[in-house]
Amino acid sequence: MTRARIERFAAMGTRVELHAFDGATPAALADARRAVEAVDDALTIHRPSPLVALNEALLAGREAAVTDAILLDALDAAAAAHVATFGLFDVAADRRTGGNWTMVRFDRAGGTVAASRPLALDFGGLGKGLALDRAGAVLRDAGVTSALLSAGESSILAFGPHPLGGGWPFAIPHPIDADATLLEIELRDQSLSISATVGVGTDAPERAALLRPGEPAAIAPPACAVAIAESGAAAEALSTALVVADPARAARLLRDRRDTRFRFDLAHQESRVA
Amino acid sequence: MTKDHFDLSRRSFLDRVLAATAGAGVAAAAPWASAAAQGAAAAPAAGPRVRLGVIGTGDRGRALIRNIQKSRNCTVAAICDTYAGNLDKARAIAGASVPAFADHRAMLDARGLDAIVIATPLNLHAAHAKAGLDAGLHVWCEKAMARTIKDCGAMVTDARKAGKILQIGHQRMFHPTYLNALKRAKAGEIGTITQVRASWHRNNSWRRKVPADATDRQINWRLYREASAGLMTELATHQLQVGNWFLDAVPTKVIGSGSICFWKDGREVYDHVALVYEYSGGRKVIYTSLLNNARYGCEEQIQGSTGTIEPELGRIYQEVPPKQLALQRMQQDIRKGSKRTVPIGGATWFPELPVTTPGESLGWGEYDETMLQFEGFGEAVRAGRPLPGLLAQAYHASVASLLGEAAMDKGEAMTWPTDLVAVREG
Repeated sequence: MTRARIERFAAMGTRVELHAFDGATPAALADARRAVEAVDDALTIHRPSPLVALNEALLAGREAAVTDAILLDALDAAAAAHVATFGLFDVAADRRTGGNWTMVRFDRAGGTVAASRPLALDFGGLGKGLALDRAGAVLRDAGVTSALLSAGESSILAFGPHPLGGGWPFAIPHPIDADATLLEIELRDQSLSISATVGVGTDAPERAALLRPGEPAAIAPPACAVAIAESGAAAEALSTALVVADPARAARLLRDRRDTRFRFDLAHQESRVA
Repeated sequence: MTKDHFDLSRRSFLDRVLAATAGAGVAAAAPWASAAAQGAAAAPAAGPRVRLGVIGTGDRGRALIRNIQKSRNCTVAAICDTYAGNLDKARAIAGASVPAFADHRAMLDARGLDAIVIATPLNLHAAHAKAGLDAGLHVWCEKAMARTIKDCGAMVTDARKAGKILQIGHQRMFHPTYLNALKRAKAGEIGTITQVRASWHRNNSWRRKVPADATDRQINWRLYREASAGLMTELATHQLQVGNWFLDAVPTKVIGSGSICFWKDGREVYDHVALVYEYSGGRKVIYTSLLNNARYGCEEQIQGSTGTIEPELGRIYQEVPPKQLALQRMQQDIRKGSKRTVPIGGATWFPELPVTTPGESLGWGEYDETMLQFEGFGEAVRAGRPLPGLLAQAYHASVASLLGEAAMDKGEAMTWPTDLVAVREG
């Protein structure tokens, strides 16, 4: 039996677990943890950080120079996610400021960010996906060939085979009915993200409400979305977009993606795989 | 209630008490209840009824008269109260043929009694008890025992010297639900009991309307320090007895804070009390009582390592096992060479809210346990032997309540007195 090494710690406002199997060393786990914590340090909005500095400038109506590499990568990822989700994943969406990503001018080459009106950015789940991606890369570079990384059990990255062979089997429980399962799936070198408006944990302290960009109220109907993608960042953006999507845009996101994108409307207690 | 129904419910009540007190652990922890129920079930009506003279016929005294009337071996032979209004109401219950007195000495001088029942203001208990004992009578006295720890001890000593029964009214000690709770606690169903959190919360002034022919101190004696320690002696005593009982010990010390916080109406006793009683091994009784919020009512939460008992609600609860996180289970599976689907997406943060599992019923007694107190007292008087263990429980509960008052008054920890009277019973 391959020896497992596990690193558990709090970061990104949740419980992060790094389970590494073949080839894992304590140093590799420690480096992977530092990778997660570095993303947390760059993207947190709860203490001084490069993102907080950027938000202060944007809220003051100033253009900001961004030098932090992680924040620049996150901005890139946010821009890509906005496009990929038809505007549904929006790190600038904010009921208080009325902002959205279309008001943001991001110049990656010049390393500057500006906005057409005062607003602030919140990377939310995208940060968790980015953190897992970077931690996964650290472990791979260290020679680990089998690992499962989790941020709050709603963000998962798995690479390599399961220690007992094959893929990594997961079940997505019904967030309301503890006896029911929404979905069973196997991951193979993939990331998975779950977003829900109901269920245990949705009322956790400081958990941001799910917003549909451009609409004033938080998403209230009970729904759960699951997205599988090659990267954690992409999976996070897609699951968020799916759960906040209106029917038309949800249909566009789900089209021809029956195996990797799922949205469950729980209002009628009917599990529906679109 | 018809006689048949009364007999049936009485029989059912006694059966519950007997069932709850069966077994060595409970018989040792509640010997009084076992003895009282066995006596009542055996031949409660044999022989002449024990003649009781009730001193103090206010609300509580009249409730006691009704319970005495339900018993099979006691009878109300005289009533006494200094306030005519109370005496008139008691006469209507006891019957016109029962002699009524305005002075307890006159009642004692009139003879014809086997025992007295004291339901007077607290500061009069000791003197009334002594008067009864001096008159050669046994004494049943409402809790708390007396206004001072010294007087509590004096009552114990006076009864011993007189060779008479002294029994204190603590009805929870005869309640089938409490006895069943004790049985299940003794059986280890809630694990090691380390804390009892007790409260008696009401939302009223605790002030009675004063008739034109009475004084406030006469009617609302509970609000004045001369006569009462307020919430401590009138309410907490019951629950401190439960705490001692379930922890099978007396406190080592108590700290507390008391205040007249809401009802600033001239009363002298606290309307808010909060105390911590320490017991050996770091165990505690945490007690609060207040008079302007009733949400949490009256309860003793008996907290063990594997469960909780709430006897006022009549329920026992098992601890809910901690949620196992999905990935921990995955690791366990892998170590065992087992590959199972991992339920993912659950929260890793669980709000630590009160557990609301319904628990299990401890059973209810539809009968009034105060009746059994009197049947037990009647048998004790007939036999000339007190119900075993009861007086020590009552004495220690009264001492605990008064010690708590002292801790609050002085603002310092009070250690359990080392000079208490030894209670020799049975």
